[in-house]
Amino acid sequence: MAQTPALLSVDHLRKSYGGVHAVDGVSFDVGEGRITGLIGPNGAGKSTVLGMVAGAIGPTGGSILLNGVEIAGWPSYKVARQGVGRTFQQSGDFSRMTVMENLLTAKPGQRGDSLRGALLGKRYWRAEEEMLLARATDLVRRFDMAGMVNELGGSLSGGQRRLLEIMRALMSEPKFLLLDEPMAGVNPALGERIGDYLLELRDAGLSMMLVEHEMSIVEKLCDPIIVMAQGQILSRGTMSEIRGDQRVIDAYLNG
Amino acid sequence: MSLAWAFYFSTVLVYLGVNMIACWGLNLQYGYTGILNFAYIIFVSAGAYTAAILTLGPKTDGSFQQYVFGMNLPFPLPIIAGGVVGGLLSALVGIIGLRRLRSDYQAMVFLVISLIATTVVTNDVGLFNGPAGLSVVPKPLDTVVNLSLINYQWFYVGVTAVICLIVYWFVRRITNSPLGRSMRAVRDHEQAAAALGKNVAAIRMRAFVIGGVIAGVSGAVLVSFISAWSPGGWLYQETFVLFTAIIVGGTANNAGAALGALLVPVLFLESTRFLPPIGRPGLIDALQWVAVGALALIFLWFWPRGVLPERRRVIRLSTPSGPAAAAEPASADQSTGGK
Repeated sequence: MAQTPALLSVDHLRKSYGGVHAVDGVSFDVGEGRITGLIGPNGAGKSTVLGMVAGAIGPTGGSILLNGVEIAGWPSYKVARQGVGRTFQQSGDFSRMTVMENLLTAKPGQRGDSLRGALLGKRYWRAEEEMLLARATDLVRRFDMAGMVNELGGSLSGGQRRLLEIMRALMSEPKFLLLDEPMAGVNPALGERIGDYLLELRDAGLSMMLVEHEMSIVEKLCDPIIVMAQGQILSRGTMSEIRGDQRVIDAYLNG
Repeated sequence: MSLAWAFYFSTVLVYLGVNMIACWGLNLQYGYTGILNFAYIIFVSAGAYTAAILTLGPKTDGSFQQYVFGMNLPFPLPIIAGGVVGGLLSALVGIIGLRRLRSDYQAMVFLVISLIATTVVTNDVGLFNGPAGLSVVPKPLDTVVNLSLINYQWFYVGVTAVICLIVYWFVRRITNSPLGRSMRAVRDHEQAAAALGKNVAAIRMRAFVIGGVIAGVSGAVLVSFISAWSPGGWLYQETFVLFTAIIVGGTANNAGAALGALLVPVLFLESTRFLPPIGRPGLIDALQWVAVGALALIFLWFWPRGVLPERRRVIRLSTPSGPAAAAEPASADQSTGGK
């Protein structure tokens, strides 16, 4: 695998719950402009790693460098403001807000998002709002969701929610996108489309990390692939390299 | 209209205004931000006590009631001070209750704080005259406008209406802005909001303190009118009356909160005044709480979005080539009322 500069560098990352080591000394780098796959059987610790990178879970130990900045233990909102977007394993939509409002909410630090800005009134924040609206309109057209903009988040199907979350994460123009099983519970045709969108985004230069346990999806989208089991990294490399690794075969057969 | 009825109606109108103000503050916290502030009434009360001691004047030795920090400030300073103290107390309670706890635990903490506050104020007589409470609070501008009793009543209805409009304008600016949208995002999915760079704790705290300021103003407006305030008037049950009001009227809808203020604390509770006396004395009063609780349950079961539900902010997309349309809220199911 060709080395690209490391966007994210995780070193000896650990998370324990009581005596259980959910993540036990994990180290890896994520290169720019790639979709790095993080796979493994259930309970391998994939989502915990993703949660720690995103700031949703505080690590027990270890380091997470994003563009050389130590972000281990930062709260989610600070990590997000460093340009890290994410989607959730369970649905993460704002259920009583429309699809469009879900998207408009996404950019941090909006002019009207402070008490002062709100009280100054629409004239103070309208221009930025229109800019965000234009960006959101582009996104919903690209993801074929233009007809759904006025639907409430809570009324969408599982697949539409996945698309909404991806669009919402893209609204803030992230440098790095964390995707937690974006195809889970989605019908195969839509799953395929989501996959194609992700490849498009990658070709446009977006770096991603994709957590998945479905090998076939990972094979199509990801390079390189990191395999986890029982809180540790078993193997890493391209799909063909991983397929030949006896430890991976054992983990999946026993897992 | 007979004089008695004129007194009654003007009093009810002031009550309505005070309840509308209180409901807007609670709606900002619960309806928009999802905070279960079961201590809301203590912030109303903080505003009321503040306005009272700032109009009663310095305490003299011959005074029949005890209180701290007496001053004699002109209108509208005591009402503004009521809001400030409501906000400061909210900040203090927010630091204790809001930061590290999940919302269901927060609700329990707030309920306990409400009980503690009543106990402290009832037992520390030196603070606000204990269970007897403060009375003979001077009415604002009474000596300036120099009106007959009934005309002063209507004058104060006007004062209340003006304060209502100011609070409504303030709340609407917030709820119609990107800040209001962030509050609803925090309410709907805390982790997702954080993952979009929203500082969830700060947004909650902001809604909590703004709601506390509004609560304080509502208490200050009320005490200036009724001239008395005691612990019996702000038991924890009063918070649930306000919660029931916004659940019935419609959460996350300012017009709904105002309607709820009319329907529950005013129409529903006032109507019991006209019931014939039944059972032991005080039975109807006791049953009021049961009735309010039942009303809240009925709505939560069968009509959880209330009479005026949260409106859907509909936008129309521009044609692919042109610029995007402005995000004007559509008027289809919009009901704003007031300004």
